[in-house]
Amino acid sequence: MGAVEKAAQAIAQFPMVALLGNPNCGKTALFNRLTGARQKVANYAGVTIERKEGQFTSSAGNQYRLLDLPGAYSLSAHTPDEMITRDVVAGLREGERSPDVVVCVVDATNLRLNLRLALEIKRLGLPMVLCLNMVDVARKRGIVVDAARLSQELGMPVVETVAVKSGGEKALVDALDGMWPFYESVANPLSAIDAVSVEETQREVRRILSVAVKDGDDRGNRSEKIDHFVLHPVMGPIILAVLMFCVFQAVFSWAKAPMDMISGGVADLGVLLSNHMSEGILRSLLVDGVFSGVGAVLVFLPQILILFFFILVLEDCGYLPRAAFLLDRLMGGVGLSGRAFIPLLSSFACAIPGIMAARTIQNPRDRIVTIMIAPLMTCSARLPVYALVIAAFIPDREVWGTFNLQGLVLFCLYFAGIISAMAVAWVMKRSMRAKRNQPLMLELPAYHWPHLRNLAIGLYERAKIFLMRVGTTILTLMVLLWALSSFPGAPEGAIHPPIYYSVAGMLGRALEFIFAPIGFNWQICIALVPGMAAREVAVGALGTVYALSQTGDELANSLVPVIHASWGLPTALALLAWYVFAPQCLSTLTVVRRETNSMKYPLMMAGYMFVLAYTATFITYRVALALGG
Amino acid sequence: MTLAPTLIKLDSLPVGQSGTVIHIAPGNPEDTEDGADLARRLMELGFVPGERIRMLKRGLPGGEPLAIKVGNATFALRRFEAALISIQPE
Repeated sequence: MGAVEKAAQAIAQFPMVALLGNPNCGKTALFNRLTGARQKVANYAGVTIERKEGQFTSSAGNQYRLLDLPGAYSLSAHTPDEMITRDVVAGLREGERSPDVVVCVVDATNLRLNLRLALEIKRLGLPMVLCLNMVDVARKRGIVVDAARLSQELGMPVVETVAVKSGGEKALVDALDGMWPFYESVANPLSAIDAVSVEETQREVRRILSVAVKDGDDRGNRSEKIDHFVLHPVMGPIILAVLMFCVFQAVFSWAKAPMDMISGGVADLGVLLSNHMSEGILRSLLVDGVFSGVGAVLVFLPQILILFFFILVLEDCGYLPRAAFLLDRLMGGVGLSGRAFIPLLSSFACAIPGIMAARTIQNPRDRIVTIMIAPLMTCSARLPVYALVIAAFIPDREVWGTFNLQGLVLFCLYFAGIISAMAVAWVMKRSMRAKRNQPLMLELPAYHWPHLRNLAIGLYERAKIFLMRVGTTILTLMVLLWALSSFPGAPEGAIHPPIYYSVAGMLGRALEFIFAPIGFNWQICIALVPGMAAREVAVGALGTVYALSQTGDELANSLVPVIHASWGLPTALALLAWYVFAPQCLSTLTVVRRETNSMKYPLMMAGYMFVLAYTATFITYRVALALGG
Repeated sequence: MTLAPTLIKLDSLPVGQSGTVIHIAPGNPEDTEDGADLARRLMELGFVPGERIRMLKRGLPGGEPLAIKVGNATFALRRFEAALISIQPE
């Protein structure tokens, strides 16, 4: 038996602790506090709900497995998330070990809502600990919880924790140590939960609160004061617009320095290699294939991190649900819920996290529509294409004194994406004959300061996912593309550059037949092939195509003057229009398949986006030609 | 039945006013996509008879959605959801 298997077997024997609680009770912060970076994030078998497991060791040396269950308001399971939570806790889910102990995390400032879930879980008859989280906030608000009395009333240990402070988890770990050793326990049947009505449970909650909790003065609390402005019918949308503007400003201006550093570093490495290697296939592969290709993609890491930094901060402090509240009416106009805002906002960085975030939308139709339009949000992978074409063709001058023409064009491209997304959503909802009334039922949690530690863990996860993509899918594609555009070589006495005769050249020339009516030359067609696999690759591909088709000194020139010289303005505008829709990156389609569990939706997505892209590009090209552009 | 005439639906409670939940009407399953049991769901969020609630904010335009405080939690509801909840205003 290998060391790895031995370790895995040892871990499997640790007692399994399940963390359970209402959404927004600080459960995930507690999970992060206990396990740190020792987390394993995967999906529950057969569904797309995130399964987070970790391990920790108490100071007494006891080792535990910790499972962070999806947040639930009730175990009667109205959402897929709640169903998982219920089934895992009750030991009914195949392939999941039933927990040895259930830790019910409650928000000490909101026991009226949270305790009901604790009472429901208690009916399952499993060993249980109640974890009074956020006791520091509760104390500040003058809420006094008599933990001993609460423990007596509930018939289970009650511990106080502050998940966001170092050492704030100690009481919980001590309580778990005190329960050692654990014996196998079997949950009562689920019918035990529904045996008591919600009203009756709530009466019990009220009784317990009356004896164990002294409520503080809630009027004029901080969250309400903030909401007075943030949810204000006039100021609210203004604040939202200003915030979004600042986020985008930051994404594009802060990221500039690190992006320049990355692209500069990669270019220097390429030059270094060129100088120290003799000319040949290997040098060509490394410099033209790997470095220029992967470098062109790696450059987005700073932007993605900055965007996610803001999304995570806004999410952590409780603003995102408010944004959903403010936009609910607007989104409702095209048949979406305000909840779609969060997935769509994430899609501006990359459609993949956006599509995954659509899990929080309970209504299946809303969720599908949100997923289908997510790729129409301008993801940062399209930016290099936009940036390249804009730099080459749109003059850098002022319009109406204040606006920069290049910036204005970029804004229009973003806007075109949003407008078409709304139109597609409207059409889809119409064709699905959706009924008018969709429940919203969105919690607006209390505001709090974002926690650096949670933020760091979240950003680390994002960076890891992105770098793994660059390291695997994209690197493979770049090498493949390099091979396609290098072989077979040019024949003797060739009049065209070598790539013209390669496989990619043949493919591109074949595609030119389809794309010539919308103004694309064979170089663009070649770049589109890998560009469909991953959008950001298109620039790298253009680089490869043009770098390889130039000779000597020209090879060193950047792409901008090259394409400026070889494309007309109508072609440039056509390419921009194409990329507003840009069918389609393979990674996105793969995720859509995984998230919807069917081939139908990814195929539909690729199809509708291709048709939209072709039509829009055709119109753009023809109009630009007719205007003599 | 002296109380009955003073009951109103939650969606018509003015901003800043408080009340007590009296009754939750079962939603019409025809109204919603998946025939969700809206009444039960609302109760699980804390809209249980006897609980105090307060209307915090209304969205624009059309006074929708509504931000409603129940217990120490705040939930956003759409009008038709709030209309299922009968309250006794204070």
